[in-house]
Amino acid sequence: MLAIQISGILIPAAILLAVAALFALVIVVLSRKLSVEENEREKEVLSHLAGANCGACGYPGCSGFAKALCEGKAQLSDCSATPKEGKQEIGKILGVAADGEDTVAVVRCNGGSHCQSKYEYQGYGDCRTAELLAGGRKACPVGCIGLGTCTDVCPNYAIDVGEEGFAVVDREKCTSCGLCIRNCPKKLIDRIPRSARVYIACSNDCRGKDVKELCSSGCLGCTLCSKVCESGAITMKNNLPVFDYSKCTGCLKCVEKCPVHCIKEVKE
Amino acid sequence: MKEYFLIILGGLLINNFVLVKFYGICPFLGVSKKTDTALGMGMAVTFVMALASVFAYVIYEYLLVPFELTYLKTIAFILVIASLVQIVEMVIKRFSPTLYQALGVYLPLITTNCAVLGVAMLNTEAIKIGAAEVTVNLFGAFLNGAFSGLGFTLAIVLLAGVREKLARADVPKAFQGFPITLMAAAIMAMAFSAFSSLAF
Repeated sequence: MLAIQISGILIPAAILLAVAALFALVIVVLSRKLSVEENEREKEVLSHLAGANCGACGYPGCSGFAKALCEGKAQLSDCSATPKEGKQEIGKILGVAADGEDTVAVVRCNGGSHCQSKYEYQGYGDCRTAELLAGGRKACPVGCIGLGTCTDVCPNYAIDVGEEGFAVVDREKCTSCGLCIRNCPKKLIDRIPRSARVYIACSNDCRGKDVKELCSSGCLGCTLCSKVCESGAITMKNNLPVFDYSKCTGCLKCVEKCPVHCIKEVKE
Repeated sequence: MKEYFLIILGGLLINNFVLVKFYGICPFLGVSKKTDTALGMGMAVTFVMALASVFAYVIYEYLLVPFELTYLKTIAFILVIASLVQIVEMVIKRFSPTLYQALGVYLPLITTNCAVLGVAMLNTEAIKIGAAEVTVNLFGAFLNGAFSGLGFTLAIVLLAGVREKLARADVPKAFQGFPITLMAAAIMAMAFSAFSSLAF
């Protein structure tokens, strides 16, 4: 009786074990035979990446990104998940400057009191609550509401709503931590390289005529800046100028030429 | 012949793995943001499902049934599928780096996709397709795996198309993201359930 019971357990277990051993053998043999020589550099780069496999860089997983990095097709700055220390290590491996480009936040609106109001807002609240009420008090759908949500969240007191009614970043104090970027309901805050001399302080991509009706300092999409730029650093995209800071020489001609003064010079 | 036709139709539409049987919901929701990645995932699952059904059928029919160990099929199939995905990954990496790159992390993830285990389990019993019942042989198991996989691909690509449109739609805040996706999936599932009234 006992023998039957034991064999009733042992035989299935043995069969299962045999099948498992067979597969294990096949896998071992195949992994020896089919082993692909992996690039040591890629492996090392991969070990310093965040390993989130989020795909935000546009490559299939972190391994794909590591490969693209080693081939020089991708920039380290394409990855937002890897912490700074990891990027510095990767920079050492690849022999490029570790993404080191310091960034600073800027507000992409200079409307404030130049921008018309949809309604009078009185009482308690910040930008996030005002946004729920018909998208804020400003007539411009992407205009700074000016109720200071960014000021509230900034740990370094680096951003404040000025007299003109729109938020302004203090470059000295800004550490580019991104809290204001995440909390702005209008998504108006953006990072630019710390070395950049100019930036566009408007996010309205409507046609010039429509912008003009709402705001006297909104970008008209007139393309004057891109024409006056001698180094070709300015291209127009969706009625807004886009700066290529690697080409910008900091001549400030665009700042002078802009009819509505929405291209701002960064003051040191 | 009629049996094979039934299996094909059943896998694609009548018993659609995602929308009628509710297998493989995780990749269905997780990898359906873009149609091209959805298609990649669908093809990878199809490939593994077709292979897994053949191997699982062989193990079941020629090892478990003769030894009267059919109660071991769950653990045996898990073993087969996990090993198979490992082998497939190595083979693809060696012979088609491009495909390996395109599939990326999805390939190992298929190991834990219940659609693959599901098709292997279903192949061991008579499959109900509408009013008919079909018992599969080796070729039938292969067909069932491949076309159930294609049915999965069909569903995931359809949902990805819907989600691409939804990304641009003005969805109320409470419904943004997964709620609206699940609602879209539910409506698709209702549409697919109409196929179950097909009679042969």
